[in-house]
Amino acid sequence: MNELILFFRNNSKWFMFIIYVVISCMLLFQHNPYQHHIYLTSANAVASGAYGLGSEVTSYFNLREINADLNARNAALQSEVVNLREQLDILQEKNYTDTMVTDSTMQHFRFIVAHVINNSVSKPYNYLTINKGSNDGVKAEWGVIDQNGVVGIISNVGPHSARVISLLNPNFRLSCKVKNSDGFGSLVWDGKDPSIALLEELPRHTIYHKGDTVVTSGYSAVFPPGLPVGRVITEDQNRKENFFTLKVELFADFTTLSNVQVVVNNYRAELKALEAGEKEEEEENIKNPFKQ
Amino acid sequence: MSKTLLNILLSILLLVPAQAVIFNNLILFNVAVPLVFIYVIVSLPVTLSTNVSLTIAFITGLAVDIFGDTQGVNALACTLLAFIRKPVYHLYMSIDDDLAGMRPSLRTMGYSPYMKYLLTMTLLYCFAVFAIEAFQFHNFGLMLLRIICSTAFTFVIIYAIDSLSIRQRQREKKL
Repeated sequence: MNELILFFRNNSKWFMFIIYVVISCMLLFQHNPYQHHIYLTSANAVASGAYGLGSEVTSYFNLREINADLNARNAALQSEVVNLREQLDILQEKNYTDTMVTDSTMQHFRFIVAHVINNSVSKPYNYLTINKGSNDGVKAEWGVIDQNGVVGIISNVGPHSARVISLLNPNFRLSCKVKNSDGFGSLVWDGKDPSIALLEELPRHTIYHKGDTVVTSGYSAVFPPGLPVGRVITEDQNRKENFFTLKVELFADFTTLSNVQVVVNNYRAELKALEAGEKEEEEENIKNPFKQ
Repeated sequence: MSKTLLNILLSILLLVPAQAVIFNNLILFNVAVPLVFIYVIVSLPVTLSTNVSLTIAFITGLAVDIFGDTQGVNALACTLLAFIRKPVYHLYMSIDDDLAGMRPSLRTMGYSPYMKYLLTMTLLYCFAVFAIEAFQFHNFGLMLLRIICSTAFTFVIIYAIDSLSIRQRQREKKL
Protein backbone atom coordinates (compact mmCIF):
# COMPACT_ATOMS: atom_id res chain seq x y z
CA MET A 1 0.00 0.00 0.00
CA ASN A 2 2.79 2.37 0.97
CA GLU A 3 4.58 1.55 -2.23
CA LEU A 4 1.47 2.30 -4.19
CA ILE A 5 1.15 5.73 -2.58
CA LEU A 6 4.86 6.32 -3.15
CA PHE A 7 4.44 5.33 -6.77
CA PHE A 8 1.62 7.81 -7.24
CA ARG A 9 3.54 10.55 -5.49
CA ASN A 10 6.72 10.01 -7.46
CA ASN A 11 4.90 9.99 -10.76
CA SER A 12 2.30 12.61 -9.90
CA LYS A 13 3.46 14.94 -12.66
CA TRP A 14 2.76 12.27 -15.26
CA PHE A 15 -0.73 11.72 -13.88
CA MET A 16 -1.45 15.44 -13.81
CA PHE A 17 -0.17 15.72 -17.36
CA ILE A 18 -2.32 12.87 -18.59
CA ILE A 19 -5.44 14.19 -16.82
CA TYR A 20 -5.06 17.64 -18.39
CA VAL A 21 -4.34 16.20 -21.82
CA VAL A 22 -7.44 14.00 -21.60
CA ILE A 23 -9.64 16.98 -20.56
CA SER A 24 -8.27 19.10 -23.43
CA CYS A 25 -8.82 16.29 -25.91
CA MET A 26 -12.38 15.85 -24.70
CA LEU A 27 -12.99 19.52 -25.46
CA LEU A 28 -11.09 19.29 -28.73
CA PHE A 29 -13.02 16.38 -30.16
CA GLN A 30 -16.47 17.67 -29.30
CA HIS A 31 -17.16 18.36 -32.93
CA ASN A 32 -20.72 19.62 -32.95
CA PRO A 33 -20.54 23.36 -32.19
CA TYR A 34 -24.14 23.39 -30.93
CA GLN A 35 -23.16 21.11 -28.04
CA HIS A 36 -20.45 23.40 -26.65
CA HIS A 37 -21.33 24.52 -23.18
CA ILE A 38 -22.22 28.19 -22.92
CA TYR A 39 -19.51 28.79 -20.27
CA LEU A 40 -16.84 27.44 -22.61
CA THR A 41 -17.74 29.72 -25.51
CA SER A 42 -17.15 33.42 -26.06
CA ALA A 43 -20.87 34.05 -25.39
CA ASN A 44 -20.36 33.78 -21.61
CA ALA A 45 -20.63 36.84 -19.40
CA VAL A 46 -16.91 37.46 -18.75
CA ALA A 47 -15.72 37.01 -22.34
CA SER A 48 -18.55 38.98 -23.90
CA GLY A 49 -18.03 41.73 -21.31
CA ALA A 50 -14.36 42.02 -22.25
CA TYR A 51 -15.16 41.96 -25.96
CA GLY A 52 -17.93 44.51 -25.44
CA LEU A 53 -15.41 46.89 -23.87
CA GLY A 54 -12.93 46.21 -26.67
CA SER A 55 -15.42 46.83 -29.42
CA GLU A 56 -16.51 50.10 -27.80
CA VAL A 57 -13.12 51.32 -28.96
CA THR A 58 -12.53 49.40 -32.16
CA SER A 59 -16.01 49.81 -33.63
CA TYR A 60 -15.02 53.27 -34.83
CA PHE A 61 -12.11 52.02 -36.91
CA ASN A 62 -13.96 50.73 -39.95
CA LEU A 63 -16.78 53.24 -40.02
CA ARG A 64 -15.65 54.76 -43.31
CA GLU A 65 -15.92 51.52 -45.29
CA ILE A 66 -19.11 50.52 -43.50
CA ASN A 67 -20.63 53.86 -44.36
CA ALA A 68 -19.69 53.44 -48.00
CA ASP A 69 -21.22 49.97 -48.00
CA LEU A 70 -24.40 51.24 -46.36
CA ASN A 71 -24.67 54.08 -48.83
CA ALA A 72 -24.31 51.67 -51.75
CA ARG A 73 -26.90 49.37 -50.22
CA ASN A 74 -29.14 52.31 -49.55
CA ALA A 75 -28.90 53.42 -53.15
CA ALA A 76 -29.71 49.93 -54.39
CA LEU A 77 -32.72 49.67 -52.09
CA GLN A 78 -33.85 53.15 -53.08
CA SER A 79 -33.78 52.25 -56.75
CA GLU A 80 -35.59 49.03 -55.97
CA VAL A 81 -38.28 50.92 -54.08
CA VAL A 82 -38.70 53.35 -56.94
CA ASN A 83 -38.91 50.54 -59.46
CA LEU A 84 -41.38 48.61 -57.38
CA ARG A 85 -43.50 51.70 -56.84
CA GLU A 86 -43.58 52.31 -60.55
CA GLN A 87 -44.57 48.72 -61.15
CA LEU A 88 -47.25 48.98 -58.52
CA ASP A 89 -48.62 52.11 -60.15
CA ILE A 90 -48.70 50.42 -63.53
CA LEU A 91 -50.43 47.40 -62.10
CA GLN A 92 -52.96 49.50 -60.26
CA GLU A 93 -53.56 51.55 -63.34
CA LYS A 94 -54.29 48.42 -65.28
CA ASN A 95 -56.94 47.82 -62.66
CA TYR A 96 -55.58 44.44 -61.83
CA THR A 97 -58.33 42.72 -59.90
CA ASP A 98 -58.31 42.53 -56.11
CA THR A 99 -56.78 39.04 -56.30
CA MET A 100 -53.39 40.52 -57.15
CA VAL A 101 -50.67 38.52 -55.41
CA THR A 102 -47.83 40.47 -53.89
CA ASP A 103 -44.49 38.92 -53.21
CA SER A 104 -44.94 37.82 -49.61
CA THR A 105 -41.68 35.96 -48.98
CA MET A 106 -40.07 38.76 -46.99
CA GLN A 107 -43.04 39.16 -44.68
CA HIS A 108 -42.10 35.94 -42.95
CA PHE A 109 -38.88 37.47 -41.82
CA ARG A 110 -38.04 40.09 -39.26
CA PHE A 111 -34.56 41.42 -38.42
CA ILE A 112 -32.84 42.17 -35.11
CA VAL A 113 -29.88 44.54 -35.45
CA ALA A 114 -26.79 43.45 -33.51
CA HIS A 115 -23.19 44.52 -33.15
CA VAL A 116 -20.21 42.18 -33.66
CA ILE A 117 -18.00 42.28 -30.56
CA ASN A 118 -15.56 39.50 -31.43
CA ASN A 119 -14.52 38.09 -34.77
CA SER A 120 -11.80 35.93 -36.28
CA VAL A 121 -10.93 35.00 -39.86
CA SER A 122 -7.59 33.24 -39.64
CA LYS A 123 -8.45 30.10 -37.68
CA PRO A 124 -9.54 26.87 -39.35
CA TYR A 125 -12.87 27.14 -37.49
CA ASN A 126 -14.04 30.73 -37.08
CA TYR A 127 -16.73 32.12 -34.80
CA LEU A 128 -18.15 35.58 -34.10
CA THR A 129 -19.73 36.96 -30.96
CA ILE A 130 -22.62 39.44 -31.16
CA ASN A 131 -24.01 41.65 -28.41
CA LYS A 132 -27.64 40.44 -28.54
CA GLY A 133 -28.79 37.39 -26.59
CA SER A 134 -31.87 35.61 -25.32
CA ASN A 135 -33.04 38.79 -23.54
CA ASP A 136 -33.37 40.41 -26.97
CA GLY A 137 -35.24 37.42 -28.37
CA VAL A 138 -32.30 35.79 -30.17
CA LYS A 139 -32.41 31.99 -30.39
CA ALA A 140 -30.00 29.30 -31.56
CA GLU A 141 -30.03 28.25 -35.23
CA TRP A 142 -31.14 31.63 -36.45
CA GLY A 143 -29.36 33.16 -39.41
CA VAL A 144 -27.13 36.24 -39.33
CA ILE A 145 -26.60 38.60 -42.29
CA ASP A 146 -24.99 41.99 -42.83
CA GLN A 147 -25.73 44.66 -45.42
CA ASN A 148 -23.70 42.78 -48.05
CA GLY A 149 -24.68 39.16 -47.57
CA VAL A 150 -24.87 36.08 -45.38
CA VAL A 151 -22.58 36.03 -42.32
CA GLY A 152 -23.41 32.89 -40.32
CA ILE A 153 -25.76 31.04 -38.03
CA ILE A 154 -26.22 31.33 -34.26
CA SER A 155 -24.99 28.38 -32.21
CA ASN A 156 -24.95 29.36 -28.52
CA VAL A 157 -27.05 32.02 -26.82
CA GLY A 158 -26.30 33.75 -23.53
CA PRO A 159 -28.55 36.36 -21.90
CA HIS A 160 -26.80 39.36 -23.50
CA SER A 161 -24.63 37.83 -26.18
CA ALA A 162 -24.60 35.01 -28.68
CA ARG A 163 -21.95 33.07 -30.55
CA VAL A 164 -22.28 32.79 -34.32
CA ILE A 165 -20.76 30.06 -36.48
CA SER A 166 -19.16 32.14 -39.21
CA LEU A 167 -19.51 31.27 -42.88
CA LEU A 168 -15.72 30.85 -42.56
CA ASN A 169 -16.20 27.62 -40.61
CA PRO A 170 -16.28 24.22 -42.33
CA ASN A 171 -18.98 23.11 -39.86
CA PHE A 172 -21.41 25.44 -41.59
CA ARG A 173 -22.83 24.53 -45.01
CA LEU A 174 -25.22 26.92 -46.68
CA SER A 175 -27.66 25.87 -49.38
CA CYS A 176 -27.10 28.24 -52.32
CA LYS A 177 -27.74 28.56 -56.03
CA VAL A 178 -26.53 30.63 -58.93
CA LYS A 179 -29.05 33.42 -59.53
CA ASN A 180 -31.49 32.78 -62.38
CA SER A 181 -30.58 29.10 -62.52
CA ASP A 182 -32.34 26.19 -60.85
CA GLY A 183 -29.57 23.84 -59.69
CA PHE A 184 -28.52 24.34 -56.09
CA GLY A 185 -25.45 23.29 -54.13
CA SER A 186 -23.92 23.84 -50.73
CA LEU A 187 -21.50 26.63 -49.94
CA VAL A 188 -18.60 25.74 -47.67
CA TRP A 189 -15.31 27.41 -46.74
CA ASP A 190 -12.06 25.60 -47.52
CA GLY A 191 -9.96 27.27 -44.82
CA LYS A 192 -7.62 29.21 -47.09
CA ASP A 193 -8.75 32.70 -48.03
CA PRO A 194 -11.32 34.57 -45.88
CA SER A 195 -12.85 36.17 -48.98
CA ILE A 196 -13.40 32.98 -51.00
CA ALA A 197 -15.65 29.98 -50.42
CA LEU A 198 -16.58 26.94 -52.51
CA LEU A 199 -20.03 26.17 -53.90
CA GLU A 200 -20.05 22.38 -54.02
CA GLU A 201 -22.29 19.64 -55.40
CA LEU A 202 -23.78 21.71 -58.18
CA PRO A 203 -25.54 19.49 -60.72
CA ARG A 204 -23.95 19.28 -64.16
CA HIS A 205 -26.71 21.07 -66.04
CA THR A 206 -26.42 24.31 -64.01
CA ILE A 207 -25.71 27.27 -66.27
CA TYR A 208 -23.31 29.88 -64.93
CA HIS A 209 -20.93 32.58 -66.09
CA LYS A 210 -18.03 34.25 -64.38
CA GLY A 211 -19.39 37.15 -62.35
CA ASP A 212 -22.83 35.66 -61.72
CA THR A 213 -24.33 36.30 -58.30
CA VAL A 214 -24.74 33.41 -55.87
CA VAL A 215 -27.83 33.66 -53.65
CA THR A 216 -29.37 31.58 -50.85
CA SER A 217 -31.73 28.92 -52.12
CA GLY A 218 -34.27 29.29 -49.29
CA TYR A 219 -34.50 25.52 -48.84
CA SER A 220 -34.19 25.95 -45.09
CA ALA A 221 -36.08 27.98 -42.53
CA VAL A 222 -32.95 29.92 -41.59
CA PHE A 223 -32.41 32.35 -44.47
CA PRO A 224 -34.96 33.88 -46.82
CA PRO A 225 -34.49 32.85 -50.47
CA GLY A 226 -32.55 35.16 -52.76
CA LEU A 227 -30.18 36.74 -50.22
CA PRO A 228 -26.91 37.66 -51.95
CA VAL A 229 -23.89 35.62 -50.84
CA GLY A 230 -21.11 36.11 -53.37
CA ARG A 231 -19.92 36.25 -56.96
CA VAL A 232 -18.72 33.33 -59.13
CA ILE A 233 -15.02 33.69 -60.00
CA THR A 234 -14.42 30.34 -61.70
CA GLU A 235 -13.98 30.57 -65.49
CA ASP A 236 -16.54 28.86 -67.71
CA GLN A 237 -15.33 25.36 -68.49
CA ASN A 238 -16.29 21.98 -69.81
CA ARG A 239 -17.61 19.64 -67.19
CA LYS A 240 -17.20 15.90 -67.19
CA GLU A 241 -18.38 14.88 -63.72
CA ASN A 242 -22.02 14.84 -62.67
CA PHE A 243 -21.38 17.38 -59.91
CA PHE A 244 -18.94 20.26 -59.90
CA THR A 245 -17.54 22.96 -57.64
CA LEU A 246 -17.41 26.73 -58.13
CA LYS A 247 -15.19 29.29 -56.43
CA VAL A 248 -17.25 32.11 -54.95
CA GLU A 249 -15.97 35.48 -53.83
CA LEU A 250 -18.01 36.42 -50.76
CA PHE A 251 -19.84 39.76 -50.61
CA ALA A 252 -19.61 40.05 -46.83
CA ASP A 253 -16.19 41.35 -45.80
CA PHE A 254 -15.47 39.25 -42.72
CA THR A 255 -12.39 41.24 -41.77
CA THR A 256 -14.39 44.41 -41.13
CA LEU A 257 -17.72 43.06 -39.87
CA SER A 258 -19.42 45.49 -37.53
CA ASN A 259 -23.21 45.70 -37.66
CA VAL A 260 -25.20 42.59 -38.51
CA GLN A 261 -28.86 41.55 -38.55
CA VAL A 262 -30.28 38.40 -37.02
CA VAL A 263 -32.92 36.89 -39.30
CA VAL A 264 -36.09 35.95 -37.45
CA ASN A 265 -38.40 33.61 -39.31
CA ASN A 266 -41.89 34.16 -37.96
CA TYR A 267 -43.14 30.85 -39.32
CA ARG A 268 -40.17 28.84 -38.16
CA ALA A 269 -41.98 26.91 -35.42
CA GLU A 270 -44.72 25.99 -37.86
CA LEU A 271 -42.20 24.79 -40.46
CA LYS A 272 -40.27 22.79 -37.88
CA ALA A 273 -43.43 21.09 -36.63
CA LEU A 274 -44.40 20.27 -40.18
CA GLU A 275 -40.99 18.79 -40.96
CA ALA A 276 -40.96 16.83 -37.70
CA GLY A 277 -44.40 15.45 -38.51
CA GLU A 278 -43.23 14.39 -41.95
CA LYS A 279 -40.23 12.66 -40.48
CA GLU A 280 -42.37 10.73 -38.00
CA GLU A 281 -44.68 9.63 -40.75
CA GLU A 282 -41.73 8.46 -42.80
CA GLU A 283 -40.31 6.51 -39.90
CA GLU A 284 -43.67 4.89 -39.32
CA ASN A 285 -43.83 3.88 -42.95
CA ILE A 286 -40.38 2.35 -42.71
CA LYS A 287 -41.34 0.43 -39.58
CA ASN A 288 -44.58 -1.07 -40.92
CA PRO A 289 -44.68 -0.67 -44.65
CA PHE A 290 -47.78 -2.83 -45.02
CA LYS A 291 -49.95 -0.74 -42.75
CA GLN A 292 -52.24 0.31 -45.51
CA MET B 1 6.18 31.79 -2.44
CA SER B 2 2.84 33.55 -2.16
CA LYS B 3 4.39 36.62 -3.77
CA THR B 4 5.46 34.53 -6.75
CA LEU B 5 1.96 33.06 -7.12
CA LEU B 6 0.47 36.54 -6.89
CA ASN B 7 2.82 37.72 -9.62
CA ILE B 8 1.81 34.79 -11.85
CA LEU B 9 -1.88 35.42 -11.24
CA LEU B 10 -1.41 39.08 -12.10
CA SER B 11 0.39 38.24 -15.34
CA ILE B 12 -2.44 35.84 -16.30
CA LEU B 13 -5.10 38.46 -15.54
CA LEU B 14 -3.15 40.95 -17.66
CA LEU B 15 -2.05 38.84 -20.61
CA VAL B 16 -5.12 36.66 -21.27
CA PRO B 17 -7.56 39.59 -21.83
CA ALA B 18 -4.80 41.41 -23.73
CA GLN B 19 -4.43 38.35 -25.96
CA ALA B 20 -8.19 38.17 -26.52
CA VAL B 21 -8.87 41.84 -27.17
CA ILE B 22 -5.62 43.08 -28.72
CA PHE B 23 -3.24 40.38 -29.94
CA ASN B 24 -5.88 38.13 -31.53
CA ASN B 25 -6.67 41.08 -33.80
CA LEU B 26 -3.02 41.83 -34.60
CA ILE B 27 -2.72 39.16 -37.29
CA LEU B 28 -0.20 40.03 -40.02
CA PHE B 29 -0.99 38.94 -43.60
CA ASN B 30 -3.42 36.37 -42.23
CA VAL B 31 -0.48 34.10 -41.25
CA ALA B 32 1.42 35.59 -38.29
CA VAL B 33 -0.53 35.33 -35.03
CA PRO B 34 1.16 36.74 -31.92
CA LEU B 35 0.54 34.20 -29.13
CA VAL B 36 1.85 36.52 -26.44
CA PHE B 37 0.10 34.90 -23.46
CA ILE B 38 2.64 32.05 -23.44
CA TYR B 39 4.90 34.56 -21.66
CA VAL B 40 3.01 33.43 -18.54
CA ILE B 41 4.29 29.88 -19.00
CA VAL B 42 7.72 30.82 -20.35
CA SER B 43 8.45 33.00 -17.32
CA LEU B 44 7.25 30.59 -14.60
CA PRO B 45 10.00 30.14 -11.95
CA VAL B 46 12.14 27.13 -12.76
CA THR B 47 11.93 25.78 -9.22
CA LEU B 48 8.13 25.72 -9.33
CA SER B 49 6.87 22.12 -9.14
CA THR B 50 5.71 20.58 -12.40
CA ASN B 51 2.25 19.89 -10.96
CA VAL B 52 1.64 23.56 -10.16
CA SER B 53 3.01 24.80 -13.48
CA LEU B 54 0.88 22.23 -15.36
CA THR B 55 -2.22 23.50 -13.56
CA ILE B 56 -1.38 27.15 -14.23
CA ALA B 57 -0.68 26.40 -17.89
CA PHE B 58 -3.91 24.44 -18.34
CA ILE B 59 -6.03 27.19 -16.78
CA THR B 60 -4.32 29.85 -18.89
CA GLY B 61 -4.83 27.83 -22.06
CA LEU B 62 -8.47 27.14 -21.22
CA ALA B 63 -9.10 30.85 -20.61
CA VAL B 64 -7.61 31.75 -23.99
CA ASP B 65 -9.70 28.99 -25.57
CA ILE B 66 -12.89 30.36 -24.07
CA PHE B 67 -12.13 33.84 -25.38
CA GLY B 68 -11.05 32.61 -28.80
CA ASP B 69 -13.65 29.84 -29.31
CA THR B 70 -10.93 27.30 -30.00
CA GLN B 71 -12.28 24.45 -27.83
CA GLY B 72 -9.25 22.86 -26.12
CA VAL B 73 -6.57 23.72 -28.70
CA ASN B 74 -4.63 26.14 -26.49
CA ALA B 75 -5.34 24.16 -23.29
CA LEU B 76 -3.68 21.09 -24.78
CA ALA B 77 -0.76 23.03 -26.25
CA CYS B 78 -0.17 24.91 -22.96
CA THR B 79 -0.17 21.65 -20.99
CA LEU B 80 2.41 20.22 -23.37
CA LEU B 81 4.52 23.38 -23.14
CA ALA B 82 4.50 23.38 -19.34
CA PHE B 83 5.52 19.74 -19.34
CA ILE B 84 8.59 20.23 -21.54
CA ARG B 85 9.53 23.59 -20.01
CA LYS B 86 12.15 22.26 -17.57
CA PRO B 87 13.95 19.99 -20.06
CA VAL B 88 14.12 22.89 -22.53
CA TYR B 89 15.49 25.18 -19.82
CA HIS B 90 18.18 22.67 -18.91
CA LEU B 91 19.21 22.43 -22.55
CA TYR B 92 20.70 25.90 -22.25
CA MET B 93 21.39 26.28 -18.51
CA SER B 94 23.20 23.88 -16.21
CA ILE B 95 21.28 22.39 -13.27
CA ASP B 96 23.01 24.52 -10.62
CA ASP B 97 21.84 27.77 -12.11
CA ASP B 98 18.17 27.35 -11.18
CA LEU B 99 18.71 27.18 -7.42
CA ALA B 100 18.07 30.88 -7.14
CA GLY B 101 14.37 30.26 -7.93
CA MET B 102 14.25 33.12 -10.39
CA ARG B 103 11.92 33.52 -13.31
CA PRO B 104 13.63 32.87 -16.63
CA SER B 105 14.29 36.27 -18.18
CA LEU B 106 16.99 38.28 -19.93
CA ARG B 107 18.30 39.44 -16.57
CA THR B 108 18.51 36.06 -14.83
CA MET B 109 19.65 33.92 -17.76
CA GLY B 110 21.76 36.25 -19.82
CA TYR B 111 21.38 37.34 -23.39
CA SER B 112 22.18 34.29 -25.52
CA PRO B 113 20.69 31.46 -23.39
CA TYR B 114 17.45 33.41 -22.93
CA MET B 115 17.11 34.07 -26.66
CA LYS B 116 17.60 30.37 -27.39
CA TYR B 117 15.22 29.31 -24.61
CA LEU B 118 12.52 31.74 -25.70
CA LEU B 119 12.86 30.83 -29.37
CA THR B 120 12.67 27.09 -28.64
CA MET B 121 9.60 27.52 -26.43
CA THR B 122 7.83 29.76 -28.94
CA LEU B 123 8.58 27.45 -31.83
CA LEU B 124 7.37 24.41 -29.88
CA TYR B 125 4.18 26.18 -28.86
CA CYS B 126 3.36 27.48 -32.34
CA PHE B 127 4.09 24.05 -33.76
CA ALA B 128 1.79 22.43 -31.18
CA VAL B 129 -1.07 24.90 -31.70
CA PHE B 130 -1.06 24.79 -35.48
CA ALA B 131 -0.50 21.04 -35.60
CA ILE B 132 -3.46 20.47 -33.27
CA GLU B 133 -5.61 22.77 -35.41
CA ALA B 134 -4.39 21.13 -38.62
CA PHE B 135 -5.15 17.74 -37.12
CA GLN B 136 -8.79 18.54 -37.92
CA PHE B 137 -7.95 20.26 -41.18
CA HIS B 138 -5.70 19.63 -44.18
CA ASN B 139 -3.58 22.50 -45.41
CA PHE B 140 0.02 21.58 -44.86
CA GLY B 141 1.87 24.40 -46.67
CA LEU B 142 -0.23 27.09 -45.03
CA MET B 143 0.27 25.45 -41.64
CA LEU B 144 4.06 25.50 -42.02
CA LEU B 145 4.01 29.14 -43.07
CA ARG B 146 1.81 30.02 -40.10
CA ILE B 147 4.12 28.21 -37.67
CA ILE B 148 7.22 30.05 -38.90
CA CYS B 149 5.65 33.52 -39.16
CA SER B 150 3.81 33.22 -35.83
CA THR B 151 6.96 32.03 -34.07
CA ALA B 152 8.92 35.02 -35.34
CA PHE B 153 6.18 37.50 -34.47
CA THR B 154 5.51 36.05 -31.00
CA PHE B 155 9.24 35.91 -30.27
CA VAL B 156 9.74 39.57 -31.11
CA ILE B 157 6.81 40.75 -28.98
CA ILE B 158 7.69 38.63 -25.93
CA TYR B 159 11.32 39.72 -26.19
CA ALA B 160 10.14 43.33 -26.24
CA ILE B 161 7.92 42.80 -23.18
CA ASP B 162 10.79 41.16 -21.32
CA SER B 163 13.30 43.91 -22.10
CA LEU B 164 10.71 46.50 -21.03
CA SER B 165 10.41 44.87 -17.62
CA ILE B 166 14.25 44.89 -17.30
CA ARG B 167 14.43 48.58 -17.99
CA GLN B 168 11.73 49.24 -15.42
CA ARG B 169 13.66 47.32 -12.79
CA GLN B 170 16.83 49.22 -13.54
CA ARG B 171 14.98 52.47 -13.17
CA GLU B 172 13.63 51.34 -9.80
CA LYS B 173 17.19 50.53 -8.70
CA LYS B 174 18.40 53.99 -9.66
CA LEU B 175 15.65 55.61 -7.67
